Amino acid sequence: MKKIFSMVLLILVSAIALGGCSNSDGFDTNSTINLVSREEGSGTRGAFVEILDILEKDEGGNEIDRTYEEAIIQNSTEAVISTVSGDKYSIGYISLGSLKDKVKALKIDGVEASTENIQNGSYKISRPFNVAYKGEPSPLAKDFLNFILSEQGQTIVAEEGYVQVATDLPSYNKNKQEGKLVIAGSTSVTPVMEKLAEAYEEMYPDVSIEIQATGSSAGMQAAMEGTADIGMASRELKDSELAELTAQVIAIDGIAIIVNNENPIGDLTIDEVKSIYTGEITHWNMAQ
Amino acid sequence: MTIIGNEGELVKSKFIESFMKNIFLISATMSIVAIVLICIFIFAGGLPFIEEYGLLNFILGTEWKPSDTPASYGILPMILGSLILTLGAIILGVPVGVLTATYLAKFSNKKLYKFLKPCINLMAGIPSIVYGFFALTAIVPIIRALVGGTGMNIITGSILLGIMILPTIISLSEAAIRAVPNSYYEGSIALGASHERAILSLVLPAARSGILSSIILGIGRAIGETMAVVLVAGNQARMPAGLTKGVRTMTTNIVIEMAYAADAHREALIATAVILLVFILIINGTFLILKRRSGI
Repeated sequence: MKKIFSMVLLILVSAIALGGCSNSDGFDTNSTINLVSREEGSGTRGAFVEILDILEKDEGGNEIDRTYEEAIIQNSTEAVISTVSGDKYSIGYISLGSLKDKVKALKIDGVEASTENIQNGSYKISRPFNVAYKGEPSPLAKDFLNFILSEQGQTIVAEEGYVQVATDLPSYNKNKQEGKLVIAGSTSVTPVMEKLAEAYEEMYPDVSIEIQATGSSAGMQAAMEGTADIGMASRELKDSELAELTAQVIAIDGIAIIVNNENPIGDLTIDEVKSIYTGEITHWNMAQ
Repeated sequence: MTIIGNEGELVKSKFIESFMKNIFLISATMSIVAIVLICIFIFAGGLPFIEEYGLLNFILGTEWKPSDTPASYGILPMILGSLILTLGAIILGVPVGVLTATYLAKFSNKKLYKFLKPCINLMAGIPSIVYGFFALTAIVPIIRALVGGTGMNIITGSILLGIMILPTIISLSEAAIRAVPNSYYEGSIALGASHERAILSLVLPAARSGILSSIILGIGRAIGETMAVVLVAGNQARMPAGLTKGVRTMTTNIVIEMAYAADAHREALIATAVILLVFILIINGTFLILKRRSGI
Protein backbone atom coordinates (compact mmCIF):
# COMPACT_ATOMS: atom_id res chain seq x y z
CA MET A 1 0.00 0.00 0.00
CA LYS A 2 2.76 2.41 1.02
CA LYS A 3 4.72 1.54 -2.10
CA ILE A 4 1.81 2.17 -4.42
CA PHE A 5 1.12 5.47 -2.72
CA SER A 6 4.69 6.69 -3.02
CA MET A 7 4.84 5.55 -6.65
CA VAL A 8 1.72 7.57 -7.46
CA LEU A 9 3.20 10.56 -5.66
CA LEU A 10 6.45 10.27 -7.57
CA ILE A 11 4.68 10.08 -10.93
CA LEU A 12 2.52 13.06 -10.02
CA VAL A 13 5.48 15.19 -9.01
CA SER A 14 7.47 14.36 -12.14
CA ALA A 15 4.41 14.98 -14.31
CA ILE A 16 4.04 18.47 -12.85
CA ALA A 17 7.77 19.13 -13.27
CA LEU A 18 7.76 17.95 -16.88
CA GLY A 19 4.55 19.79 -17.64
CA GLY A 20 6.22 22.95 -16.47
CA CYS A 21 9.19 22.46 -18.74
CA SER A 22 7.46 21.42 -21.94
CA ASN A 23 5.81 24.62 -23.04
CA SER A 24 7.27 24.95 -26.51
CA ASP A 25 3.97 25.42 -28.28
CA GLY A 26 4.30 28.46 -30.56
CA PHE A 27 3.85 32.10 -29.75
CA ASP A 28 0.47 33.23 -28.43
CA THR A 29 -0.01 36.89 -29.34
CA ASN A 30 -2.88 37.15 -26.86
CA SER A 31 -0.37 36.86 -24.08
CA THR A 32 0.63 39.73 -21.86
CA ILE A 33 3.92 41.49 -22.46
CA ASN A 34 6.32 40.67 -19.65
CA LEU A 35 8.39 43.79 -19.15
CA VAL A 36 11.95 43.58 -17.93
CA SER A 37 13.56 46.80 -16.74
CA ARG A 38 16.71 47.83 -14.94
CA GLU A 39 16.81 49.18 -11.40
CA GLU A 40 16.49 52.84 -10.47
CA GLY A 41 19.83 54.58 -10.73
CA SER A 42 21.14 52.29 -13.47
CA GLY A 43 22.86 54.19 -16.29
CA THR A 44 21.08 52.12 -18.92
CA ARG A 45 17.69 52.80 -17.38
CA GLY A 46 18.45 56.49 -16.95
CA ALA A 47 19.35 56.84 -20.62
CA PHE A 48 16.45 54.66 -21.79
CA VAL A 49 13.71 56.55 -19.95
CA GLU A 50 15.24 59.88 -20.95
CA ILE A 51 15.45 59.13 -24.67
CA LEU A 52 12.00 57.55 -24.87
CA ASP A 53 10.34 60.35 -22.89
CA ILE A 54 9.22 57.85 -20.28
CA LEU A 55 10.77 60.33 -17.88
CA GLU A 56 8.17 63.06 -17.66
CA LYS A 57 9.43 66.53 -16.92
CA ASP A 58 7.36 69.55 -16.04
CA GLU A 59 8.19 73.23 -15.80
CA GLY A 60 8.76 73.09 -12.07
CA GLY A 61 11.80 70.86 -12.63
CA ASN A 62 9.95 67.77 -11.42
CA GLU A 63 10.84 64.51 -13.12
CA ILE A 64 8.73 61.39 -12.93
CA ASP A 65 9.92 58.02 -14.21
CA ARG A 66 6.74 56.44 -15.55
CA THR A 67 8.14 52.96 -16.17
CA TYR A 68 5.24 50.49 -15.70
CA GLU A 69 5.39 49.30 -12.14
CA GLU A 70 4.69 45.65 -13.02
CA ALA A 71 8.02 45.47 -14.86
CA ILE A 72 10.43 42.86 -13.52
CA ILE A 73 13.55 44.56 -12.22
CA GLN A 74 16.92 42.97 -12.94
CA ASN A 75 20.14 44.59 -11.85
CA SER A 76 22.57 43.62 -14.58
CA THR A 77 22.73 43.33 -18.35
CA GLU A 78 23.32 39.59 -18.06
CA ALA A 79 20.28 39.12 -15.84
CA VAL A 80 18.09 40.98 -18.35
CA ILE A 81 19.38 38.77 -21.19
CA SER A 82 18.78 35.55 -19.25
CA THR A 83 15.30 36.64 -18.20
CA VAL A 84 14.33 37.56 -21.77
CA SER A 85 15.86 34.39 -23.23
CA GLY A 86 13.97 32.31 -20.67
CA ASP A 87 10.54 33.88 -21.15
CA LYS A 88 9.23 34.13 -24.70
CA TYR A 89 6.68 36.84 -23.89
CA SER A 90 9.17 39.23 -22.36
CA ILE A 91 10.87 42.38 -23.61
CA GLY A 92 13.91 44.15 -22.21
CA TYR A 93 16.63 46.63 -23.04
CA ILE A 94 20.40 46.27 -22.87
CA SER A 95 23.59 47.87 -24.05
CA LEU A 96 24.04 47.22 -27.78
CA GLY A 97 27.63 46.07 -27.27
CA SER A 98 26.45 43.29 -24.93
CA LEU A 99 23.91 41.92 -27.41
CA LYS A 100 24.05 38.13 -27.81
CA ASP A 101 22.42 35.57 -30.08
CA LYS A 102 20.35 34.28 -27.17
CA VAL A 103 17.95 37.18 -27.74
CA LYS A 104 16.71 39.21 -30.69
CA ALA A 105 17.17 42.97 -31.06
CA LEU A 106 14.13 44.77 -32.47
CA LYS A 107 14.25 47.30 -35.26
CA ILE A 108 13.03 50.67 -34.05
CA ASP A 109 11.00 52.63 -36.62
CA GLY A 110 12.36 50.15 -39.17
CA VAL A 111 15.98 50.94 -38.33
CA GLU A 112 18.24 48.13 -37.23
CA ALA A 113 20.21 48.63 -34.01
CA SER A 114 23.77 48.84 -35.35
CA THR A 115 26.81 51.03 -34.88
CA GLU A 116 26.48 52.51 -38.38
CA ASN A 117 22.92 53.55 -37.75
CA ILE A 118 23.88 55.17 -34.45
CA GLN A 119 26.76 57.02 -36.07
CA ASN A 120 24.57 58.37 -38.88
CA GLY A 121 21.87 59.27 -36.39
CA SER A 122 19.03 57.10 -37.70
CA TYR A 123 18.94 54.83 -34.62
CA LYS A 124 17.87 57.15 -31.87
CA ILE A 125 18.42 55.23 -28.63
CA SER A 126 22.03 55.84 -27.58
CA ARG A 127 24.06 57.26 -24.69
CA PRO A 128 27.66 58.18 -23.84
CA PHE A 129 30.18 56.07 -21.95
CA ASN A 130 32.16 58.26 -19.56
CA VAL A 131 35.38 57.87 -17.65
CA ALA A 132 36.24 60.23 -14.83
CA TYR A 133 39.26 60.98 -12.70
CA LYS A 134 40.02 63.20 -9.76
CA GLY A 135 42.41 66.12 -10.07
CA GLU A 136 45.50 65.55 -12.17
CA PRO A 137 45.71 61.91 -13.36
CA SER A 138 48.91 59.94 -12.85
CA PRO A 139 51.19 59.76 -15.93
CA LEU A 140 50.12 56.18 -16.49
CA ALA A 141 46.40 56.99 -16.24
CA LYS A 142 46.90 59.95 -18.57
CA ASP A 143 48.71 57.83 -21.12
CA PHE A 144 46.03 55.14 -20.94
CA LEU A 145 43.34 57.77 -21.59
CA ASN A 146 45.42 59.05 -24.52
CA PHE A 147 45.46 55.50 -25.84
CA ILE A 148 41.68 55.14 -25.49
CA LEU A 149 41.13 58.40 -27.37
CA SER A 150 43.56 57.53 -30.14
CA GLU A 151 42.91 55.92 -33.50
CA GLN A 152 43.98 52.51 -32.13
CA GLY A 153 41.83 52.77 -29.00
CA GLN A 154 38.76 53.84 -30.92
CA THR A 155 39.28 50.98 -33.37
CA ILE A 156 38.88 48.60 -30.43
CA VAL A 157 35.76 50.51 -29.36
CA ALA A 158 34.31 49.99 -32.83
CA GLU A 159 35.30 46.31 -32.93
CA GLU A 160 33.44 45.73 -29.69
CA GLY A 161 30.22 47.01 -31.21
CA TYR A 162 30.23 50.53 -29.80
CA VAL A 163 30.30 53.82 -31.61
CA GLN A 164 33.49 55.87 -31.81
CA VAL A 165 33.65 59.30 -30.20
CA ALA A 166 35.21 60.69 -33.36
CA THR A 167 36.76 59.15 -36.45
CA ASP A 168 39.61 61.58 -37.12
CA LEU A 169 41.73 61.05 -34.00
CA PRO A 170 45.56 61.10 -33.87
CA SER A 171 47.31 57.74 -33.73
CA TYR A 172 48.88 56.62 -30.47
CA ASN A 173 52.64 56.80 -30.03
CA LYS A 174 54.16 54.00 -28.02
CA ASN A 175 56.39 55.10 -25.16
CA LYS A 176 57.57 53.55 -21.90
CA GLN A 177 55.05 52.85 -19.14
CA GLU A 178 54.96 50.76 -16.01
CA GLY A 179 52.89 50.51 -12.85
CA LYS A 180 49.39 49.59 -11.75
CA LEU A 181 46.07 51.13 -12.65
CA VAL A 182 42.74 50.51 -10.91
CA ILE A 183 39.61 51.20 -12.91
CA ALA A 184 36.16 50.78 -11.36
CA GLY A 185 32.58 51.43 -12.34
CA SER A 186 29.75 50.64 -14.73
CA THR A 187 29.08 47.04 -15.66
CA SER A 188 28.09 48.25 -19.13
CA VAL A 189 31.44 49.94 -19.78
CA THR A 190 33.48 47.06 -18.33
CA PRO A 191 33.52 44.76 -21.42
CA VAL A 192 35.01 47.41 -23.74
CA MET A 193 37.34 48.63 -20.99
CA GLU A 194 38.66 45.09 -20.56
CA LYS A 195 39.54 44.92 -24.26
CA LEU A 196 41.24 48.31 -24.12
CA ALA A 197 43.20 47.29 -21.04
CA GLU A 198 44.20 44.01 -22.69
CA ALA A 199 45.60 45.81 -25.73
CA TYR A 200 47.39 48.31 -23.53
CA GLU A 201 48.93 45.64 -21.31
CA GLU A 202 50.15 43.85 -24.40
CA MET A 203 52.13 46.95 -25.36
CA TYR A 204 53.57 47.39 -21.88
CA PRO A 205 54.26 44.11 -20.06
CA ASP A 206 55.10 46.02 -16.86
CA VAL A 207 51.66 47.60 -16.63
CA SER A 208 48.84 45.85 -14.84
CA ILE A 209 45.31 47.17 -15.03
CA GLU A 210 42.69 45.98 -12.58
CA ILE A 211 39.08 46.47 -13.61
CA GLN A 212 36.25 46.27 -11.09
CA ALA A 213 32.67 46.11 -12.40
CA THR A 214 30.87 47.75 -9.53
CA GLY A 215 28.32 50.06 -11.13
CA SER A 216 28.42 53.66 -12.31
CA SER A 217 27.85 55.34 -8.97
CA ALA A 218 30.18 53.03 -7.09
CA GLY A 219 32.81 53.78 -9.74
CA MET A 220 32.41 57.53 -9.34
CA GLN A 221 32.52 57.08 -5.57
CA ALA A 222 35.75 55.10 -5.89
CA ALA A 223 37.30 57.76 -8.14
CA MET A 224 36.35 60.49 -5.66
CA GLU A 225 37.71 58.54 -2.70
CA GLY A 226 40.87 57.69 -4.59
CA THR A 227 40.44 53.90 -4.36
CA ALA A 228 40.31 53.83 -8.16
CA ASP A 229 42.46 55.84 -10.56
CA ILE A 230 39.71 56.03 -13.15
CA GLY A 231 35.95 55.61 -12.71
CA MET A 232 33.59 54.42 -15.45
CA ALA A 233 30.00 55.59 -15.86
CA SER A 234 27.41 54.59 -18.43
CA ARG A 235 25.50 57.82 -17.83
CA GLU A 236 26.09 61.53 -17.61
CA LEU A 237 27.78 62.52 -14.35
CA LYS A 238 25.71 64.08 -11.58
CA ASP A 239 26.51 67.63 -10.46
CA SER A 240 27.86 66.38 -7.13
CA GLU A 241 30.25 64.12 -9.04
CA LEU A 242 31.28 66.74 -11.57
CA ALA A 243 32.24 69.04 -8.70
CA GLU A 244 35.09 66.67 -7.85
CA LEU A 245 35.81 64.77 -11.04
CA THR A 246 36.80 65.48 -14.62
CA ALA A 247 34.75 63.46 -17.09
CA GLN A 248 35.64 62.28 -20.58
CA VAL A 249 33.44 60.51 -23.13
CA ILE A 250 35.24 57.44 -24.50
CA ALA A 251 32.53 55.79 -26.60
CA ILE A 252 28.88 55.95 -27.51
CA ASP A 253 26.63 52.99 -26.89
CA GLY A 254 23.30 52.14 -28.40
CA ILE A 255 20.53 50.61 -26.31
CA ALA A 256 19.00 47.58 -27.98
CA ILE A 257 15.38 46.61 -27.31
CA ILE A 258 15.44 42.84 -27.01
CA VAL A 259 12.80 40.11 -27.19
CA ASN A 260 12.87 36.33 -27.05
CA ASN A 261 14.08 34.54 -30.20
CA GLU A 262 10.66 32.87 -30.53
CA ASN A 263 8.90 36.21 -30.73
CA PRO A 264 7.70 36.79 -34.34
CA ILE A 265 7.68 40.58 -33.94
CA GLY A 266 10.79 42.19 -35.42
CA ASP A 267 9.93 45.83 -35.64
CA LEU A 268 8.33 48.36 -33.29
CA THR A 269 7.96 52.10 -33.50
CA ILE A 270 9.57 54.25 -30.85
CA ASP A 271 6.08 55.24 -29.63
CA GLU A 272 5.09 51.59 -29.27
CA VAL A 273 8.16 50.88 -27.16
CA LYS A 274 7.30 53.88 -25.03
CA SER A 275 3.67 52.74 -24.64
CA ILE A 276 4.83 49.24 -23.71
CA TYR A 277 7.15 50.58 -21.04
CA THR A 278 4.56 52.94 -19.61
CA GLY A 279 1.99 50.16 -19.39
CA GLU A 280 -0.41 51.45 -22.07
CA ILE A 281 0.24 48.46 -24.32
CA THR A 282 -0.01 45.33 -22.20
CA HIS A 283 -0.56 42.53 -24.74
CA TRP A 284 1.53 41.51 -27.73
CA ASN A 285 -1.42 41.68 -30.17
CA MET A 286 -1.86 45.37 -29.32
CA ALA A 287 1.67 46.06 -30.53
CA GLN A 288 1.14 44.96 -34.13
CA MET B 1 67.62 24.78 44.87
CA THR B 2 64.72 22.60 43.98
CA ILE B 3 62.33 24.92 45.79
CA ILE B 4 63.57 27.93 43.82
CA GLY B 5 63.30 25.91 40.64
CA ASN B 6 59.73 25.01 41.49
CA GLU B 7 58.89 28.61 42.20
CA GLY B 8 60.35 29.56 38.83
CA GLU B 9 58.16 26.95 37.17
CA LEU B 10 55.16 28.21 39.07
CA VAL B 11 55.72 31.81 37.98
CA LYS B 12 56.20 30.68 34.43
CA SER B 13 53.05 28.60 34.32
CA LYS B 14 51.09 31.38 35.98
CA PHE B 15 52.31 33.77 33.33
CA ILE B 16 51.31 31.41 30.53
CA GLU B 17 47.94 30.92 32.15
CA SER B 18 47.17 34.61 32.36
CA PHE B 19 48.60 35.17 28.89
CA MET B 20 46.34 32.53 27.36
CA LYS B 21 43.42 33.82 29.36
CA ASN B 22 43.90 37.22 27.78
CA ILE B 23 44.14 35.70 24.32
CA PHE B 24 40.83 33.94 24.88
CA LEU B 25 39.36 37.17 26.18
CA ILE B 26 40.55 39.09 23.12
CA SER B 27 39.07 36.45 20.82
CA ALA B 28 35.78 36.64 22.67
CA THR B 29 35.69 40.43 22.49
CA MET B 30 36.54 40.40 18.79
CA SER B 31 33.13 39.16 17.71
CA ILE B 32 31.39 41.56 20.05
CA VAL B 33 33.46 44.44 18.70
CA ALA B 34 32.50 43.37 15.17
CA ILE B 35 28.77 43.38 15.90
CA VAL B 36 28.98 46.69 17.74
CA LEU B 37 30.94 48.26 14.88
CA ILE B 38 28.41 46.99 12.34
CA CYS B 39 25.57 48.49 14.35
CA ILE B 40 27.38 51.82 14.77
CA PHE B 41 28.27 52.15 11.10
CA ILE B 42 24.85 51.17 9.80
CA PHE B 43 23.04 53.42 12.24
CA ALA B 44 25.44 56.32 11.70
CA GLY B 45 24.99 55.97 7.95
CA GLY B 46 21.22 55.55 7.95
CA LEU B 47 19.83 57.56 10.85
CA PRO B 48 20.68 61.03 9.47
CA PHE B 49 18.69 60.22 6.35
CA ILE B 50 15.74 58.86 8.34
CA GLU B 51 15.81 61.96 10.51
CA GLU B 52 15.84 64.24 7.49
CA TYR B 53 13.19 62.37 5.50
CA GLY B 54 11.01 61.53 8.49
CA LEU B 55 10.71 58.06 10.00
CA LEU B 56 7.01 57.75 9.23
CA ASN B 57 7.44 59.01 5.65
CA PHE B 58 10.19 56.47 5.24
CA ILE B 59 8.60 53.32 6.66
CA LEU B 60 4.99 54.12 5.74
CA GLY B 61 5.60 55.71 2.33
CA THR B 62 4.18 53.59 -0.48
CA GLU B 63 6.24 55.09 -3.31
CA TRP B 64 9.86 54.19 -4.01
CA LYS B 65 11.00 56.48 -6.83
CA PRO B 66 14.59 57.51 -6.12
CA SER B 67 15.27 58.77 -9.65
CA ASP B 68 12.34 61.14 -9.78
CA THR B 69 12.60 64.80 -8.88
CA PRO B 70 11.47 65.22 -6.16
CA ALA B 71 12.43 61.70 -5.19
CA SER B 72 10.26 59.57 -2.94
CA TYR B 73 11.77 56.99 -0.63
CA GLY B 74 8.92 55.01 0.92
CA ILE B 75 9.88 51.47 1.87
CA LEU B 76 6.51 50.15 3.01
CA PRO B 77 6.27 48.03 -0.18
CA MET B 78 9.60 46.41 0.66
CA ILE B 79 8.74 45.88 4.33
CA LEU B 80 5.46 44.22 3.32
CA GLY B 81 7.30 42.26 0.63
CA SER B 82 9.75 40.88 3.17
CA LEU B 83 6.95 40.01 5.60
CA ILE B 84 4.75 38.35 2.97
CA LEU B 85 7.56 36.24 1.53
CA THR B 86 8.60 35.23 5.03
CA LEU B 87 5.02 34.31 5.93
CA GLY B 88 4.76 32.26 2.74
CA ALA B 89 8.02 30.51 3.55
CA ILE B 90 6.79 29.72 7.07
CA ILE B 91 3.47 28.35 5.78
CA LEU B 92 5.25 26.08 3.31
CA GLY B 93 8.40 25.28 5.23
CA VAL B 94 7.30 24.79 8.84
CA PRO B 95 4.95 21.79 8.44
CA VAL B 96 7.46 19.99 6.22
CA GLY B 97 10.34 20.89 8.50
CA VAL B 98 8.70 19.92 11.78
CA LEU B 99 7.35 16.65 10.40
CA THR B 100 10.76 15.83 8.93
CA ALA B 101 12.34 16.51 12.32
CA THR B 102 9.78 14.26 14.00
CA TYR B 103 10.49 11.53 11.49
CA LEU B 104 14.25 11.84 12.01
CA ALA B 105 13.98 11.81 15.78
CA LYS B 106 11.32 9.20 16.34
CA PHE B 107 10.43 7.18 13.24
CA SER B 108 13.42 6.65 10.97
CA ASN B 109 15.67 3.61 11.32
CA LYS B 110 19.37 4.13 11.91
CA LYS B 111 20.42 3.32 8.34
CA LEU B 112 18.09 5.91 6.81
CA TYR B 113 19.00 8.44 9.49
CA LYS B 114 22.69 8.13 8.62
CA PHE B 115 21.78 9.03 5.05
CA LEU B 116 19.17 11.73 5.71
CA LYS B 117 21.02 13.70 8.34
CA PRO B 118 24.10 14.52 6.20
CA CYS B 119 21.72 15.42 3.34
CA ILE B 120 20.00 18.00 5.51
CA ASN B 121 23.34 19.35 6.72
CA LEU B 122 24.36 19.61 3.09
CA MET B 123 21.21 21.62 2.37
CA ALA B 124 22.33 24.16 4.95
CA GLY B 125 25.69 24.46 3.26
CA ILE B 126 24.50 25.10 -0.30
CA PRO B 127 25.20 28.74 -1.25
CA SER B 128 22.03 30.76 -1.63
CA ILE B 129 22.83 31.82 -5.19
CA VAL B 130 22.71 28.12 -6.14
CA TYR B 131 19.21 27.87 -4.64
CA GLY B 132 18.36 30.95 -6.68
CA PHE B 133 19.52 29.42 -9.96
CA PHE B 134 17.67 26.23 -9.14
CA ALA B 135 14.49 28.21 -8.57
CA LEU B 136 15.02 30.28 -11.70
CA THR B 137 15.43 27.24 -13.94
CA ALA B 138 13.04 24.83 -12.21
CA ILE B 139 10.36 26.60 -10.19
CA VAL B 140 9.85 29.71 -12.33
CA PRO B 141 8.85 27.81 -15.53
CA ILE B 142 6.45 25.59 -13.56
CA ILE B 143 4.77 28.56 -11.91
CA ARG B 144 4.67 30.37 -15.26
CA ALA B 145 2.90 27.40 -16.81
CA LEU B 146 0.47 27.10 -13.89
CA VAL B 147 -0.53 30.71 -13.22
CA GLY B 148 0.75 32.56 -16.29
CA GLY B 149 2.58 35.86 -16.29
CA THR B 150 6.29 35.98 -15.70
CA GLY B 151 6.51 33.19 -13.14
CA MET B 152 8.46 35.53 -10.90
CA ASN B 153 6.07 36.23 -8.06
CA ILE B 154 5.25 35.80 -4.40
CA ILE B 155 4.41 32.10 -4.82
CA THR B 156 7.79 31.32 -6.40
CA GLY B 157 9.66 33.33 -3.79
CA SER B 158 7.77 31.65 -0.96
CA ILE B 159 8.44 28.15 -2.28
CA LEU B 160 12.13 28.94 -2.63
CA LEU B 161 12.39 30.45 0.85
CA GLY B 162 10.32 27.59 2.26
CA ILE B 163 12.96 25.18 0.95
CA MET B 164 15.82 27.33 2.17
CA ILE B 165 14.64 27.51 5.77
CA LEU B 166 14.14 23.73 6.01
CA PRO B 167 17.64 22.86 7.33
CA THR B 168 17.39 25.44 10.13
CA ILE B 169 13.96 24.25 11.20
CA ILE B 170 14.76 20.55 10.89
CA SER B 171 18.02 20.56 12.88
CA LEU B 172 16.72 22.74 15.72
CA SER B 173 13.35 20.98 15.94
CA GLU B 174 15.03 17.61 15.95
CA ALA B 175 17.24 18.68 18.85
CA ALA B 176 14.18 19.96 20.70
CA ILE B 177 12.28 16.71 20.16
CA ARG B 178 15.25 14.64 21.29
CA ALA B 179 15.55 16.79 24.42
CA VAL B 180 12.10 15.71 25.63
CA PRO B 181 12.66 13.12 28.43
CA ASN B 182 12.06 9.61 27.20
CA SER B 183 9.87 8.91 30.24
CA TYR B 184 7.10 11.02 28.64
CA TYR B 185 7.03 8.71 25.67
CA GLU B 186 7.37 5.53 27.72
CA GLY B 187 4.67 6.62 30.14
CA SER B 188 2.18 7.30 27.39
CA ILE B 189 2.96 3.98 25.68
CA ALA B 190 2.45 2.27 29.05
CA LEU B 191 -0.97 3.89 29.26
CA GLY B 192 -1.91 2.28 25.97
CA ALA B 193 -1.24 5.06 23.43
CA SER B 194 0.09 4.08 20.02
CA HIS B 195 3.57 5.16 18.85
CA GLU B 196 2.13 7.90 16.60
CA ARG B 197 -0.27 9.17 19.24
CA ALA B 198 2.41 9.31 21.93
CA ILE B 199 4.65 11.36 19.68
CA LEU B 200 2.10 13.68 18.10
CA SER B 201 0.07 14.50 21.19
CA LEU B 202 2.74 14.26 23.89
CA VAL B 203 6.34 14.55 22.72
CA LEU B 204 5.71 17.28 20.12
CA PRO B 205 3.74 19.55 22.48
CA ALA B 206 6.43 19.06 25.11
CA ALA B 207 9.04 20.25 22.59
CA ARG B 208 6.96 23.19 21.41
CA SER B 209 9.11 26.02 22.71
CA GLY B 210 12.18 24.51 21.03
CA ILE B 211 10.24 24.09 17.82
CA LEU B 212 9.03 27.68 18.10
CA SER B 213 12.65 28.83 18.45
CA SER B 214 13.52 26.93 15.29
CA ILE B 215 10.68 28.69 13.47
CA ILE B 216 11.91 32.08 14.67
CA LEU B 217 15.42 31.36 13.45
CA GLY B 218 13.83 30.24 10.18
CA ILE B 219 12.06 33.61 9.97
CA GLY B 220 15.41 35.31 10.53
CA ARG B 221 16.94 33.32 7.70
CA ALA B 222 14.03 34.03 5.35
CA ILE B 223 13.89 37.76 6.03
CA GLY B 224 17.63 38.14 5.52
CA GLU B 225 17.85 36.05 2.37
CA THR B 226 18.99 38.07 -0.64
CA MET B 227 20.84 36.52 -3.53
CA ALA B 228 18.33 33.75 -4.18
CA VAL B 229 15.27 35.96 -3.85
CA VAL B 230 16.62 38.62 -6.18
CA LEU B 231 16.57 36.11 -9.05
CA VAL B 232 12.98 34.92 -8.71
CA ALA B 233 10.85 37.55 -6.98
CA GLY B 234 10.45 40.02 -9.87
CA ASN B 235 11.64 42.89 -7.68
CA GLN B 236 8.92 45.42 -8.51
CA ALA B 237 9.10 48.29 -6.04
CA ARG B 238 5.36 48.82 -5.64
CA MET B 239 2.86 47.74 -3.03
CA PRO B 240 2.37 43.94 -3.15
CA ALA B 241 -0.47 43.38 -5.60
CA GLY B 242 -1.34 39.70 -5.29
CA LEU B 243 0.15 36.23 -5.02
CA THR B 244 0.80 36.01 -8.75
CA LYS B 245 2.56 39.37 -8.91
CA GLY B 246 6.18 40.11 -8.18
CA VAL B 247 7.44 41.68 -5.03
CA ARG B 248 10.60 43.32 -3.70
CA THR B 249 12.06 42.70 -0.26
CA MET B 250 14.22 45.02 1.83
CA THR B 251 17.35 42.97 1.19
CA THR B 252 16.86 42.86 -2.57
CA ASN B 253 16.12 46.57 -2.60
CA ILE B 254 19.58 47.20 -1.18
CA VAL B 255 21.46 44.75 -3.35
CA ILE B 256 19.73 45.76 -6.58
CA GLU B 257 20.25 49.48 -6.36
CA MET B 258 23.43 49.90 -4.32
CA ALA B 259 25.80 49.67 -7.29
CA TYR B 260 24.34 52.67 -9.10
CA ALA B 261 23.01 54.68 -6.19
CA ALA B 262 24.46 58.08 -5.34
CA ASP B 263 23.82 60.79 -2.76
CA ALA B 264 20.41 60.64 -1.06
CA HIS B 265 19.50 57.43 -2.90
CA ARG B 266 22.54 55.72 -1.39
CA GLU B 267 21.68 56.99 2.08
CA ALA B 268 18.12 55.75 1.65
CA LEU B 269 19.46 52.27 0.91
CA ILE B 270 21.63 52.35 4.04
CA ALA B 271 18.56 53.48 5.95
CA THR B 272 16.75 50.44 4.53
CA ALA B 273 19.53 48.37 6.09
CA VAL B 274 18.82 50.09 9.42
CA ILE B 275 15.18 49.00 9.29
CA LEU B 276 16.25 45.49 8.29
CA LEU B 277 18.71 45.38 11.18
CA VAL B 278 15.96 46.45 13.58
CA PHE B 279 13.79 43.59 12.28
CA ILE B 280 16.61 41.09 12.76
CA LEU B 281 17.30 42.41 16.27
CA ILE B 282 13.63 41.98 17.18
CA ILE B 283 13.60 38.44 15.79
CA ASN B 284 16.77 37.43 17.60
CA GLY B 285 15.56 39.07 20.81
CA THR B 286 12.38 37.00 20.64
CA PHE B 287 14.50 33.93 20.06
CA LEU B 288 16.63 34.66 23.12
CA ILE B 289 13.60 35.15 25.34
CA LEU B 290 12.03 31.90 24.14
CA LYS B 291 15.31 30.07 24.55
CA ARG B 292 15.70 31.28 28.12
CA ARG B 293 12.19 30.17 28.93
CA SER B 294 12.50 26.73 27.39
CA GLY B 295 16.04 26.17 28.60
CA ILE B 296 17.19 24.51 25.37
